[in-house]
Amino acid sequence: MLLLLLVIAVAVLLLVLGFEMFLVLGVPAIMIKEFFYGTLPDPVIAQKILGGINHTTLLAIPFFIFAAELMGEGQIARRLTALIKAFVGHLHAGMGYTTIGGSMAFGSVSGSAPATVAAMARMVYPEMRSVGFNEKFSLGLVVASAETALLIPPSITFIIYGWMTGTSVAKLFVGGLAVGVVLGLAFAVMARIEAHRAGVTPGPRANWRERVKAVRDAVWALGMPVIILGGIYSGFFTPTEAAAVSVAYAIFVEWVVFRELTLNKLFAITERAAISTAIIFILLAMGGLLSFFITLAQVPTSITGFLNAIDAGPITFLLIVNVCFLIAGMFLDPNSALLILIPPLYPVAQALGVDPVHFGMIVTLNISIGMITPPFGLDIFVASSTLQKPVTAIISGVWPFILTNLIVLAVITYVPDISTFLPKLVFG
Amino acid sequence: MFLPNGVRMKILAFIRTAERTAVVVVFLTMVLLFCLNVLARQIGGTFASQFAWVEEAVRLMSLFLTFLAVGLALDRGRHAGIHTWRDGIAEATGLPLRRIIDAVGLLFCLYLIWLSYQMTAFVFGTGQRSPTLNIPVFWIYLAPTIGFALMGLRFALSFLGLIDRFSGQTREVE
Amino acid sequence: AEYTAKIGHLESPQQSRHVHLEKVAKLVSERTGGAVEFQIFPQGQLGSQREMNEGVQLGILQATVAPAAFLGGFNPVVSVLDIPFLLPDDDADAQKIRDGAFGKAVCASFESRGVTCVDLWPNGKKNFTSNHPITSLDDFAGQKFRVMDSNILIEQFNALGASAIALPFGELYTSLQTGVVDGEENPLDTIQRMKFYEVQKHLVLSSHGAMEDVILFNTAWWDSLPEEYQTIITDAFQEVIPDLIAHKAESVAAALEEIKASGIDVRDMSAEEKAAFREKMYPAGRAAYVERAGKEGEDLIAIYEQEYAAATK
Ligand code: NA
Ligand code: NA
Repeated sequence: MLLLLLVIAVAVLLLVLGFEMFLVLGVPAIMIKEFFYGTLPDPVIAQKILGGINHTTLLAIPFFIFAAELMGEGQIARRLTALIKAFVGHLHAGMGYTTIGGSMAFGSVSGSAPATVAAMARMVYPEMRSVGFNEKFSLGLVVASAETALLIPPSITFIIYGWMTGTSVAKLFVGGLAVGVVLGLAFAVMARIEAHRAGVTPGPRANWRERVKAVRDAVWALGMPVIILGGIYSGFFTPTEAAAVSVAYAIFVEWVVFRELTLNKLFAITERAAISTAIIFILLAMGGLLSFFITLAQVPTSITGFLNAIDAGPITFLLIVNVCFLIAGMFLDPNSALLILIPPLYPVAQALGVDPVHFGMIVTLNISIGMITPPFGLDIFVASSTLQKPVTAIISGVWPFILTNLIVLAVITYVPDISTFLPKLVFG
Repeated sequence: MFLPNGVRMKILAFIRTAERTAVVVVFLTMVLLFCLNVLARQIGGTFASQFAWVEEAVRLMSLFLTFLAVGLALDRGRHAGIHTWRDGIAEATGLPLRRIIDAVGLLFCLYLIWLSYQMTAFVFGTGQRSPTLNIPVFWIYLAPTIGFALMGLRFALSFLGLIDRFSGQTREVE
Repeated sequence: AEYTAKIGHLESPQQSRHVHLEKVAKLVSERTGGAVEFQIFPQGQLGSQREMNEGVQLGILQATVAPAAFLGGFNPVVSVLDIPFLLPDDDADAQKIRDGAFGKAVCASFESRGVTCVDLWPNGKKNFTSNHPITSLDDFAGQKFRVMDSNILIEQFNALGASAIALPFGELYTSLQTGVVDGEENPLDTIQRMKFYEVQKHLVLSSHGAMEDVILFNTAWWDSLPEEYQTIITDAFQEVIPDLIAHKAESVAAALEEIKASGIDVRDMSAEEKAAFREKMYPAGRAAYVERAGKEGEDLIAIYEQEYAAATK
């Protein structure tokens, strides 16, 4: 126990003193290895670090970062936002809605909250600032909106949950759509209130001639969402491949159509995207190492023991679920959090009669909140490095959204119908 | 480090150019391979089967992409971290915090170079091969070996005051 | 416990492999008076199968129960088990081959790779599903099937004129839904657990691919055990096989019921049809295998073909 406290103290100390995050996670992980698993061969550390990032599904992250860099640097992002402005620019919170809607669409296909932050932040953050949203709110909204990635289908998180619990993936997808939309609406309300509070000045309402022109200007840029969404839903490619195709399309449009991309620019953009990838992946790698030790510590068994000991009712149980996933979401990727926590928690949920689809929503919403909760929320660091903003600035922007999120979580948790209504409607 | 300044800078510049070129080539190749894979599937038949190795290849390349870029990220102060209070604490306590961080980072990297190298050597020894590319698996462990070496180099140079890896970090002003 | 073994595998706790690993753990603990303890980590909690294989070699964990299809990388000889229509349909005949000279030779091939193979476990058979009709051999041509990373499985689909597409397991559901691939092959309980039937129209009970599990221990740990304990462990693994087969059969039957209730088209493959498929697919798989596994593979195939002829006589 004393040793464990020491490890935690070291982690906090390194964090506060401004050590690089991968050291904040990596140094304590090595201490855990030496203190608690001394007999394990040391190279396991290298193996698990690599294991944390050696997954095909993670590839969406680098590709979407790359595409976002290309679009942001070139014309595509500008023309797309001009188009959106032509239609919603006269609304007070128009740019806020755009951020939320864009993240939901993008998150839907990427399935990855960090990838969504990385891609959307570069495109919408400057626009939000330019219409008068303040820095904190803009940062918070960009980070929080990305959470919908795990909820709106397709979602690997639900597929893994379905595999582990035997729940229908189709029902989970439909339920996730409902919950994702509820979350998006909650953020939209916040954007609307903030827009009035901050006195965001809406632009003039564009007339139809201007709107037609904006559409014409954005034809090539619109190819981007059309190709990504159309390609995925018509079965041309998987979401991961779509990410790569979107890079190729962006290079083609910026180079051949808009003729602004040069070889030198492409080189610089590629390099920047690679560095952003490395920053995220080195954290995921350290997370892989930590989750291995958490597994070895048989945390699931302890949780089962604890739950048996306190013999909790449904409300206490769901509260415990929230706490477990919020903590796990702080430094584990969603899939590891599921692998570690579902085995001890799901049987209890079943015994208490919680609907499996409903439980899937609670769990997934919890995980996504964990990704934006300080100090270790991965999405916070992704936003920090893609926008080159201090972590502290992002954390202070994200707080109100975490509160909203917790309210939504409470509503989702205690009103099962939101999660199960649509699946029941569709599948009977 | 014990070389004349000019030579040292030349070597460092060469390493940077090599890293940058490598990550750019690797990244663009990954895009190309996935696009080819999508095309091949449209053509279909047994022709499409010939591209079954692409997924494995791109995943392997993503490991190299990551570890070839971590050193550059450090060089430019782009790694995530909460740097807000560091310099204030250093001033208040008189601790050379930047050097302490460099030293810890260097030790961490040296240890991980050693472990990654051991893993590489071990898997090399077992002769394990990858399922569809059919290349030796030890290649994947070479990635972190290289990556931690590239970062370790930056920590060492920064510790010795030969490069400035801090100025690129986000200025903590609102 | 004097001896503790961390054992990792990929399946979920409700599946046959895990249930019977727990049984073995209990037997071993009882019979050694608590001296040997198995700690079992399901669902890839300890890493991917490749990481677990390396882990067993290195001594990070003491054992893994691995599908043969994931072992070809460090022991190409074992890929013989990937060859389609390898084992006879009849469970008893199949067990004869597993228990006989062939099974022993497969196990022995791990010796030179620094791990100790204790036994082979049956883990069901793969069947085809697709969104296009798969009523005859010719129907397969032009369809896209998802395969696990394995040369032999790729060749098996090529032999049918189909495309073999490598996709991560986690992306398969969505890919079947949108049509990135038309079909896939898996045991029925996997098709049910992963809900692939929700996004597939046709299932043919082809039983074409054996899913064989290989039980691998770290050699140093194994050798450190007293011989008596080794025997207890080996016997325990062997002893539960009939239960394992029955448990699997039960979950497959339950899975089939759920799949049928969903209303998708389910079709039995007749013995003649299977023979025709074997004639097409076996030689292609065999050739791909021998190319990869070399002389060692040729020797093993020779043993197999003798045993197969004897068992199915
Ligand atoms: Na999604
Ligand atoms: Na967090």
